[in-house]
Amino acid sequence: MLEYAWLIPVFPFAAFVLIGLLPKRTLFWEDGGGYAIAGAAGAFVLSMFVVWDVINGQTLTGADAPRTTWLVIGDFEVKFGIWIDQLTAVMLVVISVVGTLVVVYSGGYMHEEGVGRRRYYAEIMLFISVMYGLVIADNFLQMFIFWELVGLCSYLLIGFWYEKPSAAVAAKRAFIVTRVGDIMFMAGIIVLFKYVGVLDFSALFGQGSQSIVEQGLISQDMLTLSTVLIFGGAIGKSAQFPLHEWLPDAMEGPTTVSALIHAATMVKAGVYLTARTYPLLVQTPESLLFVAVIGGVTALLAATVALASNDIKRVLAYSTVSQLGYMILGLGAGGYLVIHSQIGGGYAAAMFHLMNHGFFKALLFLCAGSVIHAVGTNDLRLMGGIGKKMRITSLMMLIGSLAIAGIPPLSGFWSKDEVLASVFDANEFDPVFALLWTMGVATAFLTAFYMFRMWFMTFAGEPRSDFHAHESPRIMTVPLMILAGLAVVSGFALFVGDGFKHFIELAIEPLGIVGEDEALLDIAVTILSDPLTYVTLVLAIVGISLAYRIYYMPGFDRSVFVKGVPGAFHRALDNRWYISQFYDDFAYKVVYGFSLVADAFDRYVIDGLVNGIAYLGANMGNSIRKAQSGDVRRYTSLIVLGIILLLVFMIYVVPWARGL
Amino acid sequence: MIELEYWLIFSSLLFAIGAYGVLTRKNAIVVLMSIEVMLNAANINLVAFSSYYSSLHPDQGPDPSGQAFALFSIAIAAAEVAVGLAILLSVYRRYQTIDVDKINILRW
Repeated sequence: MLEYAWLIPVFPFAAFVLIGLLPKRTLFWEDGGGYAIAGAAGAFVLSMFVVWDVINGQTLTGADAPRTTWLVIGDFEVKFGIWIDQLTAVMLVVISVVGTLVVVYSGGYMHEEGVGRRRYYAEIMLFISVMYGLVIADNFLQMFIFWELVGLCSYLLIGFWYEKPSAAVAAKRAFIVTRVGDIMFMAGIIVLFKYVGVLDFSALFGQGSQSIVEQGLISQDMLTLSTVLIFGGAIGKSAQFPLHEWLPDAMEGPTTVSALIHAATMVKAGVYLTARTYPLLVQTPESLLFVAVIGGVTALLAATVALASNDIKRVLAYSTVSQLGYMILGLGAGGYLVIHSQIGGGYAAAMFHLMNHGFFKALLFLCAGSVIHAVGTNDLRLMGGIGKKMRITSLMMLIGSLAIAGIPPLSGFWSKDEVLASVFDANEFDPVFALLWTMGVATAFLTAFYMFRMWFMTFAGEPRSDFHAHESPRIMTVPLMILAGLAVVSGFALFVGDGFKHFIELAIEPLGIVGEDEALLDIAVTILSDPLTYVTLVLAIVGISLAYRIYYMPGFDRSVFVKGVPGAFHRALDNRWYISQFYDDFAYKVVYGFSLVADAFDRYVIDGLVNGIAYLGANMGNSIRKAQSGDVRRYTSLIVLGIILLLVFMIYVVPWARGL
Repeated sequence: MIELEYWLIFSSLLFAIGAYGVLTRKNAIVVLMSIEVMLNAANINLVAFSSYYSSLHPDQGPDPSGQAFALFSIAIAAAEVAVGLAILLSVYRRYQTIDVDKINILRW
């Protein structure tokens, strides 16, 4: 079954081509929605078969995978192939489940869009297709191609309502900011290629044999450089500090697109890339530390900004940035554990969080979409009291919020706890991780607070503006229920079969992971008997009750908290720590100033040169052309004069000159 | 046998007379006639040099190539006159004049 995995992206791609090219009459339901659902479902079914095979212990990595030669340059061949391991399987689960449900949900959400639906479905199919292509790629070049295509699709979809200036700006911003990361990724690939000469994962990861450093192909410093650069790509795509500002702006697209970008595709690509390069990362502890610090800083920074956001989607966007920070932090800390104690715990925890986050964040976004669909605004201050009218949506969003806040037994609790536990364990090897652990715990508290601030502002209390909310159609609520179900149960993947942890650790087994033969019950006991678990849990509950006090209980004096927070701090949060502003200032002052100089040089020096020559030619021609008077006798007299002069020259001047 | 110099002087004179006509006359037909005179000056040169060559190399017999060129030239001159006169005719129909000073529209 695994050798047919390359067909997975083909299904959505075929849907993309069909929706794009078929005549309008043959598009049927929702202007191509039927084809889109069929394409997504086809990929879903095939993914599930592949995942089942992987669960049963089969993988397809390295030489036995089907490959095809794509490009031959001299002795160098670029081959395209597929690489299916446990990590790919996790990504396939997330993409196929979330992707399919989002497409189904779009059937209701995009109903009023009219002719734009065709473009929407075509683009979303391409988006899902290239994301599948990204996760099954077996070399960096193939991955990079799909990586760029993901960027392109996100640009198209964020700017879906391109008539709206803010959407067009957000799309450009997402494209340009992620491009900074893409360039770094490319530079990292080039460094690897220059020294090692191959880009295949199987060769680079040195499976079963020596690593590429031990083979003397690349120096330790260069490997560090290239892993940091490749992680730079992940910073851009996964919206990590300092390139995180594009993601909240990307809320300008349809909410379904946000759900897809945040939960299944795009931002998960960065985490996936970091996890995929793990065999290289664990050889470079400096890079791992960098990864962990970036993750920790991002988690805390984004969580603080989410506190002050009044846009329902923006709160969710910052929570995504923050949760991605968790995953990156988990990967960074996990690498230390792999190096020093041969435990794959952090890696497993990060990927576990990725999967769980995929489900509950898709749920949250689709719920937000349902609310926006009903209310017609994104502004939390104008909502309130919707819970009575949209019972299903409010309940589903409550489940999502509890999951992300880390309340047991929902999925977020298990994975977040695992991530924090591995960060705490890494403390043993580098004291920085103690700080990062504190930041992670603080983030957990803030997450619980802002999620419930959002929930209470949206669903509780009295309506604060004039709207007529109504429950969404079933085509939208059913995907919500499925996702809510997954958000509840996906945490128990830890205890199914051999356990999620054991399963995902197989992907990095060649790194010398000592599989801890914990019984599944022991894992639960470890988690539940660890006092640190309760620190996080209590903080989360405190966060929720604080949100309840401030944003729900009537008569509670909120000014206490407003006064409690210094003005400058609140202003900084409102302005997203001025990071966005910094980029704008940088662009306006430095880049724009430089462009002005370049423009002036081009306009006056280069253009001036060209124009000057042309002006000279034109003027000379203008004065000389007067000689063409049309007067025949003048022509003839000039001819005669010329002949005479020529004769004089030949007869007198030439012999005289020779005689000299 | 007339010396070569006389022929050359004669043809130069003819050429100068023709050139003078071209330069000074306004009537296009007279200009055309003057051109014919210049052309014939060149023909005389051809024939004269041909006969001079034969006299320098008596053992090779008379050399016909100069004469043949002259005959060709005369035939071409006839064709040229026909074309020139036809042009003048249509110029006259268009402008009611064949004064070369007045026909000066082919200019900047």
